[in-house]
Amino acid sequence: MRTTLQIEWMKVRNYRTFWILLAITIVSIPGFNYMFYDIFDNKFPKMRGKSIFGSPFAFPDVWQTVSWNAGGVLFLIPAILIITLTTNEFTYRTHRQNVIDGWSRGQFVGVKMLEILLLSIFTTLIVGLTALAFGRLGNKVPADVSIWQGSHFVAAYFVQMLAYSLIAFMMAMFIRRAGLAMGVFFVYLIIENIVVAVCRNRYHAVWVDYLPEEVTDLLIPQPYAKAIITQQGASRWESHVPVYLAVAAAYLLIFCIVSSRRFLKSDL
Amino acid sequence: MTNILNIRSITKFYGKIRALHEVSFDVPPGSVYGVLGPNGSGKTTLLGIVMDVLQSSGGEYAWFGQPPSSRHRRQIGTLLETPNFYHYLSGERNLKIAAAIKGHGEEDIPRVLETVKLTGRRHSKFSTYSLGMKQRLAIASCLLGNPSVLVFDEPTNGLDPVGIAETRQLILDLSREGKTILLASHLLDEVEKVCSHVAILQKGQLLMAGHVNEVLTNEDYVELGARDMQKLAALLSGYPGVRQVKPYEQSLQVYFEQNNADLDGINQYCFENGVVLNHLQLRKRSLESKFMELTNT
Repeated sequence: MRTTLQIEWMKVRNYRTFWILLAITIVSIPGFNYMFYDIFDNKFPKMRGKSIFGSPFAFPDVWQTVSWNAGGVLFLIPAILIITLTTNEFTYRTHRQNVIDGWSRGQFVGVKMLEILLLSIFTTLIVGLTALAFGRLGNKVPADVSIWQGSHFVAAYFVQMLAYSLIAFMMAMFIRRAGLAMGVFFVYLIIENIVVAVCRNRYHAVWVDYLPEEVTDLLIPQPYAKAIITQQGASRWESHVPVYLAVAAAYLLIFCIVSSRRFLKSDL
Repeated sequence: MTNILNIRSITKFYGKIRALHEVSFDVPPGSVYGVLGPNGSGKTTLLGIVMDVLQSSGGEYAWFGQPPSSRHRRQIGTLLETPNFYHYLSGERNLKIAAAIKGHGEEDIPRVLETVKLTGRRHSKFSTYSLGMKQRLAIASCLLGNPSVLVFDEPTNGLDPVGIAETRQLILDLSREGKTILLASHLLDEVEKVCSHVAILQKGQLLMAGHVNEVLTNEDYVELGARDMQKLAALLSGYPGVRQVKPYEQSLQVYFEQNNADLDGINQYCFENGVVLNHLQLRKRSLESKFMELTNT
């Protein structure tokens, strides 16, 4: 596996688009969070020197805040990167050549999944470091709070990132064209959001919680304004986290199996 | 000696379209095996199946007498259909990837680049290469690690006349080194010039396969001419062993049952029956004419 990963590295290390998208990912996670930090720190009224929305960028809430911000929109950039790297193989027909030259089909699809895993770990590290930086540099750590309290939200971000990435990968494996795969990926996300909003708000449907995108989103609840918005259903959420995690894990497995079978069984 | 490749009843459907129908033949070691057929006859599909980029609908094949695996493919240099490389990488970097997948070091890259005369452009991006250069890079990739088996699908595609001649010479040189070469082409003279064996495909069906001499066995014919062609034709129809007499331009072509054309006997027979021949020649049938006959084109 190490050799296949080295070969994968040979493919991307001189690919400019890879570095541009990676740089955007690295910059956008702290940048996007700083934008919110600036708004909450400076733009909202304060009572007794504290923001009426609480301190979302102070320990322990900073982990949840940064993870939620990073997962909300910024997953799109790594997803675009995954779709680009995967569909490139189909565009240049190098997926065929890799197999002709001596990779098994399983090796090809396996190293792509490993690439997704590493990218998810990398962005999770960025999220973790960003949370630490905001928590450390921007705020004093309360004496009774461990800085690691709430850091499990970073792990939740990892699961969320992995799920979005594998959906993007699956789209790329089936559609094989970059533009179309990205389009279908975005349309799918929008449709799922609309279905969730309509069914939950109008019909109080619970099943929408278990849709692929939503179930990982629910692992990180909205972090803002905890001080003034009653966290309705907080205890219900806590009790449901194991279920969300189990369903998310099942989805991850399904995405992997479906994508692999597509490559293992079809004509290349 | 174990065959390099055994193909047994390979069948392939694309939906309802049957691209290959129970194709079977064996590729012996050291042979240059031409797979011949018009466009759409199934040549590339067959090679795609034995290189595991296409799934067969039926049948089986074996490399080196064993069930096929990625390990076998690493021992084979293959150019299938079009050169497939990363457009944003240089020729040399692309070869490094191919070498790494094949499990070879990079030390062979300068040699293969020199063989295909691409040393001077090794640092240029693949996207800047001409069609001929892309094809030559693909051939270079095949030669990495000096494999004992090579699979070429239309290797002279996109090459200029000099490139075509050089590639043919390269294939002949590789064959003289004892390498086994499987060569798919629709260019009949290309196959005829370099191949020891040939398989002829049409619309996915194998029409004939074997050593070139076997495939072309009994295919000598005699070309004759005389002032009175009608009388000559009638006379030859009665000559013992004649299978077919057919007019060709200003002469007659005469085919014999047992390939036992006796020029002296024919000449004497015609003269004794009042026909003086002004043209008499034994001809070897070309692969092209055999191919035309088999495929009815």
